[in-house]
Amino acid sequence: MNAAKSFSSRLAGWLPRIVVAPSLLVVIVTVYLFILWTGVISFTSSKFVPVYDFVGLEQFVRLWATPRWHTAVANLFIFSALFLLLSTGIGLLMAILLDQNIRSEGFLRAVYLYPMALSFIVTGTAWKWIMNPGLGIQKVVNDLGWTGFTFDWITDPNMAIYTVVIAGVWQSSGFAMAIFLAGLRGIDNSVIKAAQIEGASLPLIYRQIIIPMLRPAMLSVIVLLSYIAIKSFDLVLALTNGGPGSATELPSTFMFSATFRRNQMGVGAASAIMMLMTVAAIIIPYLYSELRERNNG
Amino acid sequence: MSKFIASLVAATMLVPAAAHAEGTIEVLHHWVSQSEVDALNVIRKDLETKGFQWKDSAVGGMSGANAQQALRSRLTSGDPPGAMQFLGWEGPQWAEQGVVRDLNDLAKAGGWREALPPQLLTFVTSGEAFIAAPINMHRQNWVWANKKIFDEAGIAVPKTWADLIAAGKKLKEKGVTPVAMGDEPWQIGIIFDALLSDLNGPEFYKKAAIDLDPAALNSPEMVKVFDTLREVRGLVDANFVGRDWAVATGMVINGEAAMQFMGDWAKGEFLAKGLKPNTDFYCFATPAKVTSFQYVIDSFGMFTVKDETVQKAQVALAETIMDPKVQKGFNLIKGSIPARTDVSVDDFDDCAKLGFNERAEAIKAGSMLGAMTHGFAAKPEFASVFGDVAAQFFVGNMSSEDAVKMLVEGIDNAR
Repeated sequence: MNAAKSFSSRLAGWLPRIVVAPSLLVVIVTVYLFILWTGVISFTSSKFVPVYDFVGLEQFVRLWATPRWHTAVANLFIFSALFLLLSTGIGLLMAILLDQNIRSEGFLRAVYLYPMALSFIVTGTAWKWIMNPGLGIQKVVNDLGWTGFTFDWITDPNMAIYTVVIAGVWQSSGFAMAIFLAGLRGIDNSVIKAAQIEGASLPLIYRQIIIPMLRPAMLSVIVLLSYIAIKSFDLVLALTNGGPGSATELPSTFMFSATFRRNQMGVGAASAIMMLMTVAAIIIPYLYSELRERNNG
Repeated sequence: MSKFIASLVAATMLVPAAAHAEGTIEVLHHWVSQSEVDALNVIRKDLETKGFQWKDSAVGGMSGANAQQALRSRLTSGDPPGAMQFLGWEGPQWAEQGVVRDLNDLAKAGGWREALPPQLLTFVTSGEAFIAAPINMHRQNWVWANKKIFDEAGIAVPKTWADLIAAGKKLKEKGVTPVAMGDEPWQIGIIFDALLSDLNGPEFYKKAAIDLDPAALNSPEMVKVFDTLREVRGLVDANFVGRDWAVATGMVINGEAAMQFMGDWAKGEFLAKGLKPNTDFYCFATPAKVTSFQYVIDSFGMFTVKDETVQKAQVALAETIMDPKVQKGFNLIKGSIPARTDVSVDDFDDCAKLGFNERAEAIKAGSMLGAMTHGFAAKPEFASVFGDVAAQFFVGNMSSEDAVKMLVEGIDNAR
C-alpha cells in the first residue's frame, strides 16, 4: 500500500512533465533544430542542395556584398519603425476615443478590428489596386476634377516601401487598438476619479496617468508588431512582389528567393541567421526585463 | 537526422504520399492552367493506351519554385516521384546529385539525339547520360502586335530596334500606348535578353549570358543594351507596375496598346479570343540582323526508383513523350512547337510555322540561344543578377554605366 501510494505521488509529480514532453519535443525538433541546421548551412558552400563543406564566413561576406540585401535591410528598418510607430499611435488613439463610453461601441470595435481578420495576401492585393495610379486613388481624384493630383508611390522605387507601410498599418492598427482597449478597461476608475477631483484635465490624466499605466499593453503590442514586421513576407509579395525593381525587398523575401529560386541556399541561410539576430536583439532584452520584473515581484 | 527532418517537411507540404499501384507513375509538375492541363491530357491518354496510369502531382505557383521545394523534400526523404518536369538547369543539377535515371538506351533506340536541336542537349544530358525527355519548345523573343493599330498608323513590321522605337514614338504621339508590359523582372528580362543578342549578335550573347565573360559584361556593347532598354522604357505607360503578363496581352488584343514582348505562350490569349495571326494580329521576332531563336523547353526527367513497375512506367512515359504524334498533339494545345525537329508542323498556325522555320535558320546560323530569363543560359544564381539589374534599371533612373558596373560586381559576387 505504501509502495502504491508512493508510485501515484511520484506519477503526480511527473505528470506535468509527461504532458508537456510531446509538444516540447515537437518544438525542439521543428523550431530549434531547424534553426541550428540553418546555422550550419550558412557556413557551407550550399547552392542547389545542402552540402556540408565548411567555408567559414564566406556566405556572410557574399550576403553583405549583395546590393539587394542592403536594400532589404534598409527597408526593414524603414518599414518596422514606421509600421510600429503608426500602428501603435493610431491604435492607441482609436482605443482612447472608443473608451469614451460612446454608443454602438461593439459595432465600431468590430469595424476597426476587421482588417486583422484578413490575410496579408488579401490586404496586399486590394491595396495594390487602390494605389495603382491608373485604377485607384489617383484616378478617382483626377476624375473628380483635380487633374494635377498624383499618388504614384507604388510605381516609384524611392517611395514604394511607404505603400507597404500604409497597407501594413491599415491591417494592424485595429489589432493594437483591441489590446489597448483591453488595457484601458483594466484600469481602475477610482484612479481617474481621484485625479479629476484634484482638478486634472482629461488630456493631462491620459498623458500622466493612463498611458503610463498601459505599459504592459504597450509592450505586448510592440513585441507582437515587431514580430509581424520582421516576418512580413506575404504582404510584400502580394502588394509589390518586391518591386519595382527590388525596391521593396525585405529580408524575408530575400531569404526565400535566394534559397528557393536563385540556387543560393548558403546565402539564404546566412540571411536567415541575420534575421534571427535581429529578432534576438529585440526579444532578449524584452525577456530579460520581464523575468527581472517577475523576480522583483 | 536530416532524413527525419525531411520527412517531417514532406508530411507538412500537402504532397500526397506516393502510392505505387501496378503500372502507375507519379508525375510532379507545375502546370495548372486550363491549356496546360489539356495539353498534358494528350500524354496521359497515350500512356493509358500502353496500359499505364498517370498519377498527377501538380504543385503550382512561384514559377515552379514550389514544385522544386516539394521535390527536394521528397528526394531527401527517399521517396522521389516517378517523373518530374524540369526547367533550365534543374535536370542537369539533379543528375549531378546522382538521383536521375539514365535514359541513354531509350535515347539510342529512339534516335533522340538526332531528332533534337543540338543546343538543347545541354539541358537533357549530363556527361554521357541522357537524363530527360523534352516535350516542347517555346520561343521567348517574340513581338505580338495589334494589326489594326499598325495599319492605321501606317507602321510596317520593324526591321531594327531603331525602327521599332521610332514607330513606338509615333504611336505615343497618337495617344496609343506603344508597349504593354508589367514590371516583373522576368517580363523586363525578356526585352533585355532580346536586346543582348539583337544589338550585338549571338556570339556576344553567348559570351555575356552563358560564359559570363568579364570583358563582354563590362563592354560598350553592354552599355548600348541598357541605353536601348531605357528607350523602350519610354514606350511603356505609367501604370505598368504589378501588371500580369496576360493583362498586358489583353491590352494589345483590345487595342489599348500596340505591341508586347512576350514568349509564344501569349499566342494562346489571342487564339482564345478567336483572333487569327496576320489577319488580326502580327507575330514577329524581335528585330535583328541575325534573327535569333531564344528557347525555353519543358522536359521530363525520371528519378532512380527501386519499384520495378514504376521503372517500366518510366520507360513508357519517356517513349510517349518522345513520340512525334504525341509531341504534335501536345504542342497544338500548349501553343509551343515540338522539341523534335522532325515533326511536321503543317497543321499549326502561322506563328508556329514562322517559329519552326526560324528555328531551322537559327540552328544553321548559330543563333539558337537559351533564354536567360527562363533559366536556359547562365545558372540561376547568375541569371538572377542580370534580372535584378535590368529590373532596377528599368524602373529607376540609373545610368547605363552604373547598371553595367552593378552587373559586373553582382556577377563577381555570385561566382
